Amino acid sequence: MKMTKAEVTAITNKVFVESFELDEKDLTPEALVFDDLGLDSLDTVDLVVALQQKFSVKIRDDERVRSIRTLDDVVEFILTIQQEMAADQ
Amino acid sequence: MTLKRAVITGIGCVSPLGRDVSALIAGLAAGKSAAKYMEEYKQYIGLRSLIAAPAELVDEKKIPRKDRRSMSRMSIFSVQAAEEALADAGLAVADLLPGGMGCVIGSTVGSMNTMSATFETMLPDFDLNQMTAMQFFQVISHTAVMNVAQYLGITGSVWAPSGACASGLQSVGMGYDLIRLGRQKAVLCGGTEELHPTVTGSFDVLYAASTGYNDNPTKASRPFDRDRDGLICGEGSGMLLVEEYEHAKARQAKIYAEILGFETCGSGEHISQSSRAAMSRCMGGALKQAGLRVEDIDYINAHATSTVHGDKEEAAAIGGLFGNSVPVSSMKGNIGHTLGASGAIELIISLVMMKQSVIFPTLNLEHIDPDCNAIHHVVETREQQIRCLLKNAFAFGGINATLVCAGLDNGV
Repeated sequence: MKMTKAEVTAITNKVFVESFELDEKDLTPEALVFDDLGLDSLDTVDLVVALQQKFSVKIRDDERVRSIRTLDDVVEFILTIQQEMAADQ
Repeated sequence: MTLKRAVITGIGCVSPLGRDVSALIAGLAAGKSAAKYMEEYKQYIGLRSLIAAPAELVDEKKIPRKDRRSMSRMSIFSVQAAEEALADAGLAVADLLPGGMGCVIGSTVGSMNTMSATFETMLPDFDLNQMTAMQFFQVISHTAVMNVAQYLGITGSVWAPSGACASGLQSVGMGYDLIRLGRQKAVLCGGTEELHPTVTGSFDVLYAASTGYNDNPTKASRPFDRDRDGLICGEGSGMLLVEEYEHAKARQAKIYAEILGFETCGSGEHISQSSRAAMSRCMGGALKQAGLRVEDIDYINAHATSTVHGDKEEAAAIGGLFGNSVPVSSMKGNIGHTLGASGAIELIISLVMMKQSVIFPTLNLEHIDPDCNAIHHVVETREQQIRCLLKNAFAFGGINATLVCAGLDNGV
């Protein structure tokens, strides 16, 4: 299913609110996942699990996860994965 | 080597009767039962016992998310109980030199709720992709003590003795030894447990859970009573600060009691059947270590869970050792069997009874079972001075534990 960036952003933000008890107003695209939003390495494990569940994707072993810095990086990464999955089908 | 003296200077708990010690004592003084019909248990096929004594989870978000993320209910209960015990003792971890405080918390298992949730995500496809980072930290056997020690910054000995329903009292016994041996100045000790249908189910399958009172929950747990038909499970955590006597005295701390003796032993007989001989040996061992005679004990807080066999064996063991002169009561009519937490929560109740010179009765003990009538049952609240008390906790696996303590001005 093709999703718009706004849709992916909304679901991603929901993950951050539900899983990490963050305030929606802090979830700006440029927010740094570690420095601004306060996640740590253990949280990223649960972030990956939550994203896999919400978007029905498999990203646990994807090296690109390591290069994520901002919230917008998360959204763009999901959009890329979805495009790749659509191309494979 | 001269052994140090160990005293209890702080108490705290979360129990089925409330969020702290005062709520628990108020509930007991009012003769309340915390037992409830568990609507959500109905969905489990084959579960016949539909009653439990749940504790309410309150204010858990006061614990910051990064500290709380590795905690299930049982660890949150312990953190809150530990904070209450430290506040009650007027002692902070930072008041001691680094490593000066230890922490010992036991439970039957780690979080059954998290364990169940983990398997639900794995099955039926054996898929580990939904396994989160925190499930392990909530499921491990030392989850509560690990979380409490990390949260409070405790850097001394950290232990998690697991002896099912004796865990809480074994933890206090271990704290007592750590103090006596001079290895710690203070030890936060206790037990914890959380409810899950599989916990009740484990007793139910062994015909040890109450099944005949589903329509009358507050009457279900009735230790020593003729019409008892099994236990009901409860949850919560009890925490006590055990402190070296000289340290407590130097800071002019309030002292509830001195621990004089502790014994724990196996029955070597049967994995599920209680043994009066082993119970008797355990109580006798604790008395001997304390250097006390049976007539020095003013009150016995029984383990008595409301099972047909266990209560009978404990009554026989107490009767054989003490006769029928020492008042005996069990708190499980009020709060159910809080399993790994029970020894600690019920020791806390006993210490408050000692402080207030009152003995709470065994709730629902309406007709003393002829099999349990060789002892002196307390059936209504009475005012009585308690100089020395004895607390029992027994567990599956033939595990027995007894602790003896006395007020400092006990006169024995």
